[in-house]
Amino acid sequence: MDINDLIEKLSTEFEMNVQEKLTPATSFRGMKEWSSMHALIIIALVDAEYEVTITGNDLVQMNTVQDLYDLIMSRKK
Amino acid sequence: MHNPFSLEGKKILVTGASSGIGAQTAICVSQMGATLIITGRNEENLKKILKQLHGEGHQAIVADLCDDIEPLINSCQLLDGIVNCAGITKHLPIKFIDRKAIDQIFDINYTGPVILINRLFKLKKINPGASIVLLSSLASMFPFKGGTLYSGAKAAIDIFSKTIAIEFSSQKIRANTVNAGMVKTPLLNSAEETISKEAMQTHEKAYPLGFGETTDIANMCVFLLSDASRWITGTNIVMDGGLTAGT
Repeated sequence: MDINDLIEKLSTEFEMNVQEKLTPATSFRGMKEWSSMHALIIIALVDAEYEVTITGNDLVQMNTVQDLYDLIMSRKK
Repeated sequence: MHNPFSLEGKKILVTGASSGIGAQTAICVSQMGATLIITGRNEENLKKILKQLHGEGHQAIVADLCDDIEPLINSCQLLDGIVNCAGITKHLPIKFIDRKAIDQIFDINYTGPVILINRLFKLKKINPGASIVLLSSLASMFPFKGGTLYSGAKAAIDIFSKTIAIEFSSQKIRANTVNAGMVKTPLLNSAEETISKEAMQTHEKAYPLGFGETTDIANMCVFLLSDASRWITGTNIVMDGGLTAGT
């Protein structure tokens, strides 16, 4: 898995409009459409696709897509 | 003096008694004079709760409601009341649901308690005049994002309870649910982990009386088990610190 794989999955699940594009530097909470639903989607997606458990508190402490990728990699067996 | 709120002489089964609302309910019910059978999955916690019960003659039986419950059923004598507190919650958006998740959430929140009560009725272990209290949730009426499975299982419990009320009324057996909003329990900690402590603190501000304590729910269970509530059956009792009263 690389970060583009994560970006592609996130973009699909977020059902983002084409103008707004995720990059490693994208700040989640800076997204125009960010809501509590996105947090739930990230937690469920990371669990389903990478078998890694992250919590809401993890999300509070992270900012960008790169941060999320790094956290997944650090917890992946 | 006759006290209609007393549980003296009653035999009560409490499930999910190894932690949270179940543990507190067991303690409060014993304080009101009942003899208890407490059950739960965690043996160590269950033993700790057993020691905290008032009075004599209580029993602790380790059992998983999703597994073989016959040993539990066999050790139950005639019951005057049941409080089902066993349950789990999980946040799962609709797009991430699969059969495994449905089975997991429904097994413990719906199928387990339904089969338990079904077996107890079948074996005639529930006395006439008994009271059955099922812990439901405010979420069965007001679902939350990611909560369709939990809310759905609890909505099914609401209906199960009403059906008991109408099928067994000739024996004066009553059934009610307690539909609680957010209560400070280990389940709340798991909700905090999923949707963050920050979000839960904001959520608490919407409760005019703040989040509930386990004793708040336990006291309602005591009332519903007692003869003081003899005319209450088939209802879903909302306890939410005023959350749904209005703004």
